[in-house]
Amino acid sequence: MSEIDMAVIKPEMMKPYIWLETSDGSIQQVEQEIAMYCPLICKEIIQKGMGSSKNCAICLPQRVSPATLSLILDYCRFHQVPGRSNKERKSYDEKFVRMDTKRLCELTSAADSLQLKPLVDLTSRALARIIEGKSPEEIREIFHLPDDLTEEEKLEPLKNTTDDPRIRLLNRLYAKKRKELKERERLKSVEVEEEHIDKRSVDDLLSFINGNEDQKGIKTSKNKKKNRRKKEQHQKNSSLKEASGVNKKEVNGQNIRPPNSEADIIAETSISHTEDVFAHKEFDDGDIDDGIDPALKEKIDREVEDFARRLNSDWPERMQELLSSGQERKTMLFSPNGNSFLRRNA
Amino acid sequence: MVDVMGPDLISDLPQSIIESILVQLPIRDAVRTSILSSKWRYKWASITQLVFDDKCVPPFSNDREVVERSVVKFITRALFLHQGPIHKFQISNSMLQSCPEIDQWILFLSRNDIKVLVMELGEGEFFRIPSSLFNCRKLTRLELSRCELDPPHSFKGFVCLRSLNLHQVLISPDAVESLISRCPLLESLSLSYFDNLALTISAPNLKYLYLEGEFKDICLEDTPLLVEISIAMYMTDDIAEHFEQSSNCNFLKFLGGVPNLEKLVGLIYFTKYLSIGIDSVHLPIMYHNLETIELYQVNFEDTKEILVILRMITSSPNLKELHISGSSNIPIAADAPDLDFWEKGCLSDSALNKLKTVKLSEMGGWPHEIEFIKYLLCRSPVLETLSIIPCVFDMGNNLKMLIELVKCRRASSRGEVIFIHE
Repeated sequence: MSEIDMAVIKPEMMKPYIWLETSDGSIQQVEQEIAMYCPLICKEIIQKGMGSSKNCAICLPQRVSPATLSLILDYCRFHQVPGRSNKERKSYDEKFVRMDTKRLCELTSAADSLQLKPLVDLTSRALARIIEGKSPEEIREIFHLPDDLTEEEKLEPLKNTTDDPRIRLLNRLYAKKRKELKERERLKSVEVEEEHIDKRSVDDLLSFINGNEDQKGIKTSKNKKKNRRKKEQHQKNSSLKEASGVNKKEVNGQNIRPPNSEADIIAETSISHTEDVFAHKEFDDGDIDDGIDPALKEKIDREVEDFARRLNSDWPERMQELLSSGQERKTMLFSPNGNSFLRRNA
Repeated sequence: MVDVMGPDLISDLPQSIIESILVQLPIRDAVRTSILSSKWRYKWASITQLVFDDKCVPPFSNDREVVERSVVKFITRALFLHQGPIHKFQISNSMLQSCPEIDQWILFLSRNDIKVLVMELGEGEFFRIPSSLFNCRKLTRLELSRCELDPPHSFKGFVCLRSLNLHQVLISPDAVESLISRCPLLESLSLSYFDNLALTISAPNLKYLYLEGEFKDICLEDTPLLVEISIAMYMTDDIAEHFEQSSNCNFLKFLGGVPNLEKLVGLIYFTKYLSIGIDSVHLPIMYHNLETIELYQVNFEDTKEILVILRMITSSPNLKELHISGSSNIPIAADAPDLDFWEKGCLSDSALNKLKTVKLSEMGGWPHEIEFIKYLLCRSPVLETLSIIPCVFDMGNNLKMLIELVKCRRASSRGEVIFIHE
């Protein structure tokens, strides 16, 4: 706007009324000094020279409906009078925000879009008072919030668990539920783990049978690493083979380090179970490379033959067999121990 | 699960409004909004103001340490889940005393643009503020209560600090002075419960000064913009001795460099402090903006203290409101008071042209007090109210006082003299 334009507009600014257009398209006349209480309108008038006539009515933001505009203008009409005491203003404010929640939210939104900060503070304080001290269900009902958090998300303990005994109890129940959920998941992954272990042992055995030529090619599974570690330990403890064998088995169990405790225990029991072919196979791998105890060697040979027979048959059938024998092994693992695994598996 | 009752009223409001709402909720309720709906899950986590008061974890047990543990857990979890800058952090919890987690919180805050930090811990062991506080470059307001503060030598000051409030804080006098002088934007300073402090304040932007404690000496060296002063000086034997030996003119030292003063409040021994050396110097300064003077515990037996009041009044042509409270001590001196003092020509005849309200409390009806009231009534043409609240200890003098008051000549035709008695 050039200076001349501003000079022309100035006398028009003395007019007491300006034009405002609301979101629904309707245009209305408002006393200027009241409307100027809103910073946005003030800016529009002064900086852009709008609002002086019906044609250049100030377009109010979308969030300002005619109903909310009239509320806002009431507020401005009261507060723009300079002579009022703080007590009067406060008392007016208290009465002003007594309205239903829906209108209160719309009013907050509209006041924010008009940059009328005192009204935004007032309405948000009123909304805060509505929320304060209420239960989540009550708050959801008042504001029509969808109850769309998943069970899992709701199970995150509330931060004020330690004070309210009801919430403490609730969280204990939630914690129990969470535990159960996690255990169920763990069991699923345990089964997967076992298959993994089985698979790896097959690879190991294959490589063993094929004369270790694929050893580098085979993925370093956990068991492989375990084997290597075993080798080192075996070298260190070569004198006490039997004793160290037992030690190694236990160490073995610990070295597997599966992701969850149940599998841990399973692995341990599998290793400690001396009759277990599967464990021996892994153990033997390391042994054979380093010079082996002859007593064990016979056992190994027998088992290798057994396995070679199996390998000579078809691969898928082999896999099935292996898996089923793995299952057997599993039940074999579990039944002697007779602990809670049975319960969990069921 | 869409609610059939209607559209969501609130979740889609702009974050600034949500923040405005959440900030006005107690922190517990704000955190609980996280389970309202999926949109609300983390709305609380980005509020920029965290205030932990006594209500944030209600005392569920009589054992303070147990409650303290849960407060600590709550605050730590809240900080851990929080996202984004934290502009205001306040702990005003009496259960919380010195504990190591506070160090971590302050370190965390120093990395998150903290602007306002308020720490009011419980009675007990004073917490030693960690050095990470001094890395909070954006601090604008600092309020500490019952802490130990030890700024490192290399500390260059808080460049953005506008308000400093230290209450019962253990800090060396040098450190206080250097802290004040190194905060160039400091506008408001409040020091309370300090022991035996001799303070020189150099703060070019200082507007509000509030001191309370055992101050030996206060020198306002560079405070040209001071607008409001409130001082409560306690006395110890040490300080009394210091007063006896002092040869300075305290009035000049204290009020010499505050031409913009608008309000002065002095309590306990402040008037005594100002009275030292007052009769030695003629004071050139006028306080054109000074509109309110409140001096409490003035000893009317000491003519020097009366002189302080008179000098203050006559240097303030625009004074509107005056509150004087006498000391409730019954005078020891039984001999006739020096009423010539009031006749002496050193008291100017200048009128108190703007004085409207005078309130005198703890008045024992002693001769000097009555002369003072006469003095005021004669010189205040626009006086509207002069209220007198007598001292409760000695009711015998009240009648005498009333008789004298009735005799007084009044300059103001509208003035009311109100005698308030229970």
